[in-house]
Amino acid sequence: MAQSSSLDVLLKGSSGQSTRGLLRIIILITIAAAAVASRLFSVIRFESIIHEFDPWFNFRATKYLVQNGFYSFWDWFDDRTWHPLGRVTGGTLYPGLMVTSGVIYHILRFLTIPVDIRNVCVLLAPGFSGLTALAMYLLTCEMSKSPSAGLLAAAFMGIVPGYISRSVAGSYDNEAIAIFLLVFTFFLWIKAVKNGSIMWGALTALFYGYMVSAWGGYVFITNLIPLHVFVLLCMGRYSSRVYISYTTWYALGTLGSMQIPFVGFLPIRNSDHMSALGVFGLIQLGLLRTLSAGVIAPWSGRFYSLWDTGYAKIHIPIIASVSEHQPTAWPAFFFDLNFLIWLFPAGVFMCFQNLKDEHVFVIIYAVLASYFAGVMVRLMLTLTPIVCVAAALAVSSILDSFLVLTKPNPESQTKTTSEDSKSLRSTQKPVVGIYSYFSKAVVTGSITVYLLLFVAHCTWVTSNAYSSPSVVLASRMPDGSQFIIDDYREAYYWLRQNTPDNAKIMSWWDYGYQIGGMADRPTLVDNNTWNNTHIATVGKAMSSREEVSYPILRQHDVDYVLVVFGGLLGYSGDDLNKFLWMVRIAEGIWPDEVKERDFFTARGEYRVDDEATPTMRNSLMYKMSYYNFQSLFPAGQAVDRVRGTRAPTESPQLNTLEEAFTSENWIIRIYKVKDLDNFDRDHNNAVAFDKGLKRKRASKKKGPRVLRTE
Amino acid sequence: MRWCLALLLSCLLAAVNALSSSGSRLLVVLDESTEKSAYSTLWSDLEGRGYDVSFESPKSDKLSLFQHGERAYDHLLILPPKSKGLGPNLTPKSILEFLNKDGNILLALSGKASTSSAVSSLLLEIDIHLSNDRSSVVVDHFNYDTVSAAEKHDVLLLQRPGPLRPDVKAFFDGEGILALPRVAPQTLGSDSALVAPILRAPATAYAYNPKEEMPSAEDIEGTGSQLNVVSAMQARNSARFTVLGSVEALEDQWFSASVKAPGGKKTPTVNREFAKQLTAWTFKETGVLKVGKIEHHLATEGEVATEDLNPKIYRIKNETVFSIEVSEYAYDKWVPFEVPGEDELQLEFTMLSPFHRLALEPTGRTETSTVYRAQFVTPDQHGIFSFRVNYKRPFLTNIEEKHEVTVRHFAHDEYPRSWAITGGWVWIAGLWSVIAGFLAFVLVWLYSAPVADKVKKTQ
Repeated sequence: MAQSSSLDVLLKGSSGQSTRGLLRIIILITIAAAAVASRLFSVIRFESIIHEFDPWFNFRATKYLVQNGFYSFWDWFDDRTWHPLGRVTGGTLYPGLMVTSGVIYHILRFLTIPVDIRNVCVLLAPGFSGLTALAMYLLTCEMSKSPSAGLLAAAFMGIVPGYISRSVAGSYDNEAIAIFLLVFTFFLWIKAVKNGSIMWGALTALFYGYMVSAWGGYVFITNLIPLHVFVLLCMGRYSSRVYISYTTWYALGTLGSMQIPFVGFLPIRNSDHMSALGVFGLIQLGLLRTLSAGVIAPWSGRFYSLWDTGYAKIHIPIIASVSEHQPTAWPAFFFDLNFLIWLFPAGVFMCFQNLKDEHVFVIIYAVLASYFAGVMVRLMLTLTPIVCVAAALAVSSILDSFLVLTKPNPESQTKTTSEDSKSLRSTQKPVVGIYSYFSKAVVTGSITVYLLLFVAHCTWVTSNAYSSPSVVLASRMPDGSQFIIDDYREAYYWLRQNTPDNAKIMSWWDYGYQIGGMADRPTLVDNNTWNNTHIATVGKAMSSREEVSYPILRQHDVDYVLVVFGGLLGYSGDDLNKFLWMVRIAEGIWPDEVKERDFFTARGEYRVDDEATPTMRNSLMYKMSYYNFQSLFPAGQAVDRVRGTRAPTESPQLNTLEEAFTSENWIIRIYKVKDLDNFDRDHNNAVAFDKGLKRKRASKKKGPRVLRTE
Repeated sequence: MRWCLALLLSCLLAAVNALSSSGSRLLVVLDESTEKSAYSTLWSDLEGRGYDVSFESPKSDKLSLFQHGERAYDHLLILPPKSKGLGPNLTPKSILEFLNKDGNILLALSGKASTSSAVSSLLLEIDIHLSNDRSSVVVDHFNYDTVSAAEKHDVLLLQRPGPLRPDVKAFFDGEGILALPRVAPQTLGSDSALVAPILRAPATAYAYNPKEEMPSAEDIEGTGSQLNVVSAMQARNSARFTVLGSVEALEDQWFSASVKAPGGKKTPTVNREFAKQLTAWTFKETGVLKVGKIEHHLATEGEVATEDLNPKIYRIKNETVFSIEVSEYAYDKWVPFEVPGEDELQLEFTMLSPFHRLALEPTGRTETSTVYRAQFVTPDQHGIFSFRVNYKRPFLTNIEEKHEVTVRHFAHDEYPRSWAITGGWVWIAGLWSVIAGFLAFVLVWLYSAPVADKVKKTQ
């Protein structure tokens, strides 16, 4: 359907000139190819591997889907995560991504192309980015009469780093297909509003449903379309076109979205969806949107943190602890969008000049997305498409005015403008146009230079910033040769090969998906942070003394504890640097037992060296990180290269854990939880006995003797 | 011919393994100077029960509890050495290691000489305490042998012990009088669940150091039945460690002696029977439990197909059956295990904490085992649960079974259909009435002719 409609639009836009149409198709195919190709850096440099954290879960789920079929995936109860609670995975994920790659896999198999499911997953995001470029072309063509705007937007979208950051090969995340769906749904919506057709409205609903199945960011569409309609109503632009397209979309889209188990009844209960319902009511009956308290669930925490950046920091540490939920730094806008960011306002301004229904949409989208992108780093992704649209509008209008060789004819200009004399005075004056070849050459030349710089910038950013799998780290040796740090996989494969199949691994939640995917071992918590208490339990175990932690470890059947330690290599993303989040999250549940203040020195410093507080030094995390670390250095010279301080000169003593594995660069350290002592001694005494220390007689204890009773 | 040999061999093997459930290699550690012959009845009794007894001096270089990292012996009997300590090959560490590797130890002490500090620190590790000076003996002015200790009152005369608690089996009971000369008393730590007294001193007994001039009342550690004559420790891996306070009680002369309590008749001792009970228990001839087949499955009518046995996954609210076979070893054979009258074997269905704790009822019995069974409905909570049987009683080896199963949620097609829920009929009726209403409206709309023409005409 999308194919035929796109062709249709292509050929119509070419105003009958088939060569132009052909040229346009070739250009679009080239753009799609460039979009795919620029995302392959990581595969060429490293290997065909799934990146980062969340993609590992998606990959594991896809494998499950491919092996067990759709229905058992739908009803999947995952007993290898969140031990011992388990996770109703089939009902708590967005299945769109997995089902998409499953379908692609089965189609390729049906065509007798033997392909590994991993390669389908790795290359899904680049493939869909090609489609995004096409969808972008279609969307922009709706905004502007000039076909060059569409082509420019497609080219921008294909290589802009703000989108590439989430869609390089191996980045197998929901956003990989969601951005395509977002752009395409908006295209269909504009089409529906323009034509007032039930068919386009139904298509919008269909792709909206697909989007709901793929990404939690569907809420953006759910709110943007009603807002568009609402603004149109306020502008007095109510028409049957708007009525037909909105009601069609709302009714079918809501029904469609409710088919996803994870979404379920949210569209009629959650406040995030209430604006859509309210506008639906408004458009039906003129009712103002009502928020009847009680039945409607309060706004979710993640949503609050969108409005007030301080909200999460105060109330929900688990949301604040995720780096991509942090507010965006200003340089990130230029880094991710380059010269598009300053063309963006110009493009939005041009939409004001020519304020049709679809241009209202661009303006609303631009305003909302800029705000959200400023609040949360990851929402840069939703801003990127509209920046591309606006910038393409601006660039194309510049090029359309300056790239014309023929001089404008003043007489024809005056005729057309004099017709509407009621307009503003500035527009009453005849448009004179550009006569000088010099200014044409300068402007087009500089725009060309900017475009070339943009391509160079995009290539550089993609290659240097966004193509690292983060499972494998690359660094440079002093002589310039590449040095691959592969500790993560080393440790995960150690777990896979040296531990029993159901050995429970405890680690901070960041590594849960990777352990599940690469080591194939059950974990206590993972990146699907659905149960804050369970995460706090892990945080408490990590931040408490051994005597407190050990019963927790025993109760949760933990066999191994995994920590990430960057002190030897200077790897800053290690657990000690995240440690305060563990403490904070644990403190949220057990404010009497874990206190953040105890981890700071009297002067309020976070120290890990000899001046660390006793609470810090006795915490399990600290002990596991520095256990035997000083043995790598000459006496008294142990240095922690991440925190730039001296490491403890004496190794912390671990009684209830024993070191099982430490990776080559000490990034991952795995400890085995000891069994209860065979003779019921506590572990302190047992370790002391094994070291040959004499035990003091228990009878020397003060106080009255306790008689034994049977 | 060959099968004849094989049969013979297996018969021999059966004969060799006939006794203890955990091997027959017994090492006796005793001083060369000690009269080995003084205990000849004990040795012949042990050999008669199938043990492969070897003797070593604690000072001997050849003495090693391990060979190639494995236990070289199954059981260890340590008699108190004359010299200080047990020598370099029997350090407390290696003895605990021996226990960690499932070896059993019977340690005899003697009140004649003071116990070495190595033994004392070893006992301290397992929460059995000796007197501070390590050379006290138990004295009782009411239960002593008037024949041999008329003056010193240090030969205790005791009944054999009955069950420790009403819910615990008695392995050491019987008729007759025990004579225990010069007992080195032990006291047990108050909070260890692994140690248990086998034989306590009478209420009138106390510990007394014959070498001290004046017994000081300050550092009395225990009196009366807080003092143990024989105590036992069973480690978590069920390795057994028994401390016998009086090594002399094992001597031939006390096996066949006749004793007379104050105001009593002269009776022969039952030391020999008690020594048999004690060594049999320590070396795992009695009180050994074995778990046989464990089965769990959905409760169904009739036989359960083998592929439905022990599934890895259940659903919430499933009717589930769990059964476990338990046998007990009694001297030379496995017999069905019967739980003592006031006790019960329990099954827990646990996720973090038990959701069910049920008594397992004996429902059947095979030649060597009793089948215990419980039936229950899985809780309305999905997660990773485990069937746990945790049966730890004094003098019985530990049963600690843990079988993980997953309890999943309802699948999408396992809920009752909408029309099966009577409460849903209202909504279903509403749904269909809307559809019918819409269709009716469409029909009316389509077949109602427009009447707008008249208006045009008037204009």
